[in-house]
Amino acid sequence: MGEVIVITSGKGGVGKTTATANIGTALAALGHKVVMVDTDIGLRNLDVVLGLENRIVYDIVDVTHGNCRLKQALIKDKRFEGLHLLPAAQTKDKTAVNPDQMRELCSELAKEFDYVIIDCPAGIEQGFKNAIAGAERAIVVTTPEVSAVRDADRIIGLLESAELRDPKLIVNRIRPLMVKKGDMMSMDDIIDILAVNVLGIVPEDEMIVVTTNKGEPAVLDNNSMAGQAYRNMARRITGEEIPLMDLEADIGFMNKLKKLIGFK
Amino acid sequence: MKKAKGSKPKKLFEQKEETDIMTGETPDIQNQVTEEMPAELASILDLEVGETGNRIEFEEGEKVPVPEKLSFKPLVHKDPWQQAFVDENTILIKRTVRSGQSIQFDGNVVVLGDVNPGSEIVASGNIIVMGALRGVVHAGATGNEEATVSAFKLQPTQLRIANHITRAPDGDYLSPDHPETARIKDGIVVIEVYQLGQDRQTKIC
Repeated sequence: MGEVIVITSGKGGVGKTTATANIGTALAALGHKVVMVDTDIGLRNLDVVLGLENRIVYDIVDVTHGNCRLKQALIKDKRFEGLHLLPAAQTKDKTAVNPDQMRELCSELAKEFDYVIIDCPAGIEQGFKNAIAGAERAIVVTTPEVSAVRDADRIIGLLESAELRDPKLIVNRIRPLMVKKGDMMSMDDIIDILAVNVLGIVPEDEMIVVTTNKGEPAVLDNNSMAGQAYRNMARRITGEEIPLMDLEADIGFMNKLKKLIGFK
Repeated sequence: MKKAKGSKPKKLFEQKEETDIMTGETPDIQNQVTEEMPAELASILDLEVGETGNRIEFEEGEKVPVPEKLSFKPLVHKDPWQQAFVDENTILIKRTVRSGQSIQFDGNVVVLGDVNPGSEIVASGNIIVMGALRGVVHAGATGNEEATVSAFKLQPTQLRIANHITRAPDGDYLSPDHPETARIKDGIVVIEVYQLGQDRQTKIC
């Protein structure tokens, strides 16, 4: 029986879809059977980020309405054997699926796969309720901004009232230099407010933009800092103990390197 | 050239007579047109065309009556190219079809605009896009294997004709700069350069 994990945030644009694509791919790279479910009906993106858009024939709405079998709607990833995607519909809206159908779908998928990773839409309405309905665990993504942290706090409250205890936190797009100068919220500030366990921290990385546009998750790029962060998270999900990335050390190292090649 | 039988020339619209610069003669085109005009067109326009060819005068500012509904009978039956279009419905979409929008139609679909990724067009007949086609299209959705998809820029996310599904190969590829047509040939979907009147020469006649 696999694990059903929802990745959510409340606020839009903090990196839910990127996190889903990368964690899913990293878990598959570790040899697990993974399915990613896009529940953002009407504004689907996960298929684009994974570069699988042109393979979609059936989607989650077709499955829940019985237009096709579940197996027919699952799209096999072109890179990893064990990686699958259940895409959202683009021409329907959130009301096309209800929480009961999602619960049934998730339990069906959990029989087949080691990890079912659900990409949640932004907001706290029907789409959010659908996404969390079948989940056993939750990952909350936030950025070091007051607004994103505020929304994450609201989401954690909603998750708790939906019996999803102990959500894990991903802090995305940290800029170590700004944190050091005191211009950006630090990890301590964020944990102080949210009081949850941290799954991982992701430094701001230009490679994310490049890889997302290309339809190839950053975890496939060994030089990407963010890719490394997501690979670590995937291993933490499987139960390994891996210390958080030391971003401060990175500043030191990068500076040393820049000095070495005469940038500073 | 036929000449009007009546004493006065038959005219539908008032127009200044122009003199031909070269010959100095007054052209007689007006007469020719009205003479050969089908009676039904005249009746649709609700104009009185007398036997004797009375000139119908319009006062200044008065508008030509416009019929509420056109009831042309198909005029050309002998030409198979014309025949092919007589009984099929066609809709014209004069806008860009955007992500999340879906157009489903029993007949042909013509889009004067782009079809963006994330949108879909499903038609029982042909699909023609006068712009860039980047979304999902399904021509001949009710099983018509003769259906085609044409576009100025044919770069669909996915292209379906009848029960065939195709997509572009993975990786970068050069897209040509001319209009293309996708059709089924020998059981597979092929994409070829759009040629004027291609059907006329190869398929119907």
